[in-house]
Amino acid sequence: MIRIFPSRGIALGAALFLAPAITAPALAQDASPPSPAATPAQTATPAQHTPSAQGSQDHAGMDMPGMDMTDTKASGNGATMDMGSMQGGKAPPDARNSDDYADGYRNSTLPGYEMADKLSIPKILVDELEFASGNEGQGVGWTVLVTKGQDNDKLWLRSQGLKNSRDQRLDPESSVEALWWHSKNPFWGTLLGVRQDLGKGATTWLAAGVEGLAPYWFDVQLTGYVGTDGRLAARAKASYEVLFTNRLILTPQVETNIYSKRSSDRQLGSGFSNVELSGRLRYEVSRKFAPYIGFVWERAFDGTADFRRLRREGPSEHRLVIGLRAWW
Amino acid sequence: MSPLHIRPIARRRFVQGLAIGGAVAGFAPALLARSAPVSPAELSGTEFDLEIAELPVNFTGKRRIATAVNGSVPAPVLRLREGDTVTLRVRNGLKEMSSIHWHGIIVPAEMDGVPGISFAGIAPGETFTYRFEVRQSGTYWYHAHTLAEQTGLYGAIIVEPKQVPTARAPDRDYCIVLSDWSDEPPLQIFLNLKKQSSYYNFAQPTAGDFLKDVGTMGLGKALERRRMWNSSRMNPTDYSDVSAATYTYLMNGAPPAGNWTGIAAPGERVRLRFVGAGTATFFDVRIPGVELTVVSTDGQPVEPVTVEEFRIGPGETYDVEFTMPEGGARTIFAQAIDRSGYARGTIAPAPGMAAAVPPLDARTWLEPVDMMGAMATMGAMGGDAHAGHGMTEMPARARHARTEYGANTDMRVDYPRTNLDDPGAGLRGRGWRVLTLADLRTPGGDPDPREPERDIELHLTGNMERFIWSLDGIKLNDSRPLHFKPNERLRVTFVNDTMMAHPMHLHGMWSDVEGPDGAFQVRKHTVVVQPAQRVSFRVTADAMGRWAFHCHLLYHMAAGMFREVVVA
Repeated sequence: MIRIFPSRGIALGAALFLAPAITAPALAQDASPPSPAATPAQTATPAQHTPSAQGSQDHAGMDMPGMDMTDTKASGNGATMDMGSMQGGKAPPDARNSDDYADGYRNSTLPGYEMADKLSIPKILVDELEFASGNEGQGVGWTVLVTKGQDNDKLWLRSQGLKNSRDQRLDPESSVEALWWHSKNPFWGTLLGVRQDLGKGATTWLAAGVEGLAPYWFDVQLTGYVGTDGRLAARAKASYEVLFTNRLILTPQVETNIYSKRSSDRQLGSGFSNVELSGRLRYEVSRKFAPYIGFVWERAFDGTADFRRLRREGPSEHRLVIGLRAWW
Repeated sequence: MSPLHIRPIARRRFVQGLAIGGAVAGFAPALLARSAPVSPAELSGTEFDLEIAELPVNFTGKRRIATAVNGSVPAPVLRLREGDTVTLRVRNGLKEMSSIHWHGIIVPAEMDGVPGISFAGIAPGETFTYRFEVRQSGTYWYHAHTLAEQTGLYGAIIVEPKQVPTARAPDRDYCIVLSDWSDEPPLQIFLNLKKQSSYYNFAQPTAGDFLKDVGTMGLGKALERRRMWNSSRMNPTDYSDVSAATYTYLMNGAPPAGNWTGIAAPGERVRLRFVGAGTATFFDVRIPGVELTVVSTDGQPVEPVTVEEFRIGPGETYDVEFTMPEGGARTIFAQAIDRSGYARGTIAPAPGMAAAVPPLDARTWLEPVDMMGAMATMGAMGGDAHAGHGMTEMPARARHARTEYGANTDMRVDYPRTNLDDPGAGLRGRGWRVLTLADLRTPGGDPDPREPERDIELHLTGNMERFIWSLDGIKLNDSRPLHFKPNERLRVTFVNDTMMAHPMHLHGMWSDVEGPDGAFQVRKHTVVVQPAQRVSFRVTADAMGRWAFHCHLLYHMAAGMFREVVVA
């Protein structure tokens, strides 16, 4: 989605479908060190000890439920080591205070001081800009993220949508969001702001969510919404990057949308509205410029599916896409 | 070889540059006349006029603007004499503020050349006069303390000792300045890294690598091998932030195709003064078939140690000596730590000669010890404990700062390794002798035998995903300075919580590195701390004023891995 993830050779199919499921434990684990979160690769790989050089990886002591600790204790000269997590967690009460070394002194105020660590950096990511052709006709789709700010506080402008060229109708998930992204965690950030739907029956929503990088390199975005029409909604997205080479990259992605009440203006039912699975294979001519081809399969459920049937459309849709990923 | 070493992979040929790279013809027509590049001009005496100015160059086939001193990239070699008071008038002919820092030279604080700390920098068109007494001898260097370091503002300094040494002077004496050139402006490189930290890393593990591993070691072990990295969102190929994807590596300003050549006849004694002027590159240096005796590091003599290869980090210097063997030319080979490219030159009896250039090494992954520190060696290392042997006692636990539990720190090492006898990832199990920090010993013992009165523990921290670099999780502009009391002897202990090596440079005062036993070992000005390693050094705070203290990887410094030191 936003960056290049090295392929880590996880059983991809299973991992993709499980991605949303691991999100919650992943978050919990970031917040509290010893949380034993179940992840796809761990279920795929029985904990085993290999008495080789790699065997030392067994003693990583992080995110590794089910690992055999007894051997560590034995080889650690009987000493009990705190194998606490190397990531996340809270500072212990006796943690050092780095400012103590200053004895009250402050940094120089001369001109010319190195300020690059405070740069407010703009980035425009056109993650998907594509022409789509499928069983419901042709259209144009987009996913764009504009960010601007310092390391741990940014303005996010996020938009996604799909416009069908047959009837000029926008997909009901088409929207634009303005969010404040804030981070207190090395891999996760929180989102707070508003979402404005695009197209017929558009609603304005308050938005709150999290986004980040889950263990095993899953890129995750979860956002909850409160609409001005009283509806609640949620959108979840997860993606992964498989590096066939360092330039030929497959991005499988899953997205789902949930609504608390139906909206006939928007032609959305209540409950699970839809699930979309996609895979886009891009070639990075440069890091910033990558044409791609892909396939999208989407299915509507319950009320949303009924609305589609009323329009004489099927509940499921599939389309081939060809597009461009670019950023600067 | 450890089983972690992966197979050689086909890789993109990096840009070897032009045979006559450097200043563009027309601006320096003399360059066209010569067959091989020569070392930059040498200036000597006590009075120097240096002009910083733009210089059109062409290292790669594309014309670009470099930052030169007196029309030269690298800047001229300055030959000083210990005991002299030197005057250096530096005129800034650029359109932006600039500066020169005398790296490793002990100078008064206001002469140290760090904008914002020593002085306000040199404004465009202005001249700043540096004046200081030279109180040391050896090989040092000078460079911009701004992003212009990347664009060519760096050069060697040789300080002749006041007393002529009793040992015979070498027959040949060359500076070898190793650097990294990019056609992209440094700010662009920095922004690219901030927006996508893996921007220049084209060696990330692929699905194909995984399938190969499944074929050779089976599915279980192939997954196991990846588990530590993937579960913690760490990349086992994080050697360098910037690679040959944009860099052309230079030796004395010559790209590999330019083949810088030094002359030495068989039997002659040769001294090469290596300067690590890479802004983001560690180099692994060897002259195949020649044993190198390291006689000095960071300008300070060491007990001679003979090796076949050594790693030099940005900021460091190493003097090595050898006797020129029979049999013609020899290649000086300096491959980048990430094996994406190399700098190369030749030492030969006559100009125009060349020897075979060795292939780049296969890329390897970082090893568990580079993430886990002592934890990795406490477990079952089998017989392959070259990275952590001697580890029989339980290592001391690191004391993390409370500021290491926020967004700026993606990992913390609780039990760092303390051994210094590790040549570092990519150089382990070489089959020939590679220099380690443990090999470097200053003769004559501790220059200040007082025991340190107190300890300052500082952790080298980062968030690789977001390209945030810091100390104790605090970036420069969120930090407060370190206060040293005048003339106190104190100990600074680094714990590297990241998976990259950081060359840490304290301005104004020496860094007297201790061995794992706490005894003084070697005097340095730039201390390389390997991943998940603890290194302590002693400081005598005998230099009043404000000083810079930072990682010498330029983009880490820019991102915040920098503290101010106040001696007051």
